[in-house]
Amino acid sequence: MQKDIDECCYIEKEKILIVIPAFNEQHNILKVIGDVRDSLPNADILVINDCSVDSTSVQARMAKGVKVIDLPCNLGIGGAVQTGFKYANSMGYQYMVQIDGDGQHIPQEVEKLANTMGRSGCDMVIGSRFLDIQSYRPTWGRRMGIKVFYHLFRMLIHAKITDSTSGFRIYNRKSIEVLSKYYSNDYPEPDAIIALKKNGLCICEVGVKMREREHGSSSITLIKSPYYMAKVILSILLSCTRTRW
Amino acid sequence: MEVRDIDSIHLIGLVFSLTILASVFLMVRERMLKEKYSLVWFVIGFFTLVMSIFKDLMDWFANLIGVYYAPSAFFAILIACAYFLLLNMSVSISGLKTYNKILTQELGLTKLRLEEVEKKIKSREL
Repeated sequence: MQKDIDECCYIEKEKILIVIPAFNEQHNILKVIGDVRDSLPNADILVINDCSVDSTSVQARMAKGVKVIDLPCNLGIGGAVQTGFKYANSMGYQYMVQIDGDGQHIPQEVEKLANTMGRSGCDMVIGSRFLDIQSYRPTWGRRMGIKVFYHLFRMLIHAKITDSTSGFRIYNRKSIEVLSKYYSNDYPEPDAIIALKKNGLCICEVGVKMREREHGSSSITLIKSPYYMAKVILSILLSCTRTRW
Repeated sequence: MEVRDIDSIHLIGLVFSLTILASVFLMVRERMLKEKYSLVWFVIGFFTLVMSIFKDLMDWFANLIGVYYAPSAFFAILIACAYFLLLNMSVSISGLKTYNKILTQELGLTKLRLEEVEKKIKSREL
């Protein structure tokens, strides 16, 4: 009840962990950490350096009070973020937010996620680029992919999810517990939706703004995208048939 | 002429299967190969051994399953064995990847805890 009354202070009061997975993000990481600090001064920050070959770890350690986990092998985005879930789970955090190390996610928007979570009582809130379409213009290919996923999720789990591949999400304690156990490696975001739904948790979306990346390039190139689509669709379908989690 | 050809290929088969059996046996003894994975190799080794000793067996078996050309049946069985072996390997690799992921994550988490403990000790010493 308290949560609904003063929504603005809701994120400050609870124990919240910001997880920043980073792989070779030496140019972006400090700026991302700074942004998070500016908009969420009370949140704890955990950078997960997924065995970068550049100075990501050194750069992240330059920011004061930031915890850095250096993974000894490159696990990929899923394995890195799951490390964050495990940390949040063992340290008793009530909320966890994933903010990518490439600067694509805007920390000011975390408040929107948290407010939506407080208002709706959902266990995970996804920051969607497509509910608020002005801010983000995806390429034609991406729009196609998004549409396919939208209809797939509607069919399979009867949920209307416009941006199933968005990593910009807030999780509460219940979903942290589930995902610290099961989080897939290569295409974890759509998979996590199914894992949570199958565990009887509630998911919703809120429109957020996202930035274009400043340095580096997306991991999904034009040539790789049909391959990515096929893998994700296969993984979604297989996850749906899974009875034991 | 034909008889000698068959004999030599049987001899090769015999030597081949005995070599497989002996090396698998030695590798398990020297702990280079796990017992679990040696089993399927023993089965393959025994199969080729039996087939090279009793050459009529193959003809009988091919006849039984309706294959006209006996060596084809032999190849079919070997290919099936290889498929099984490859699937077995893929399952093992998937398991290893999972273990590897868990260990990597735990190591990362433990390193962070160690760093924090070290920091605490240092600040106490000062």
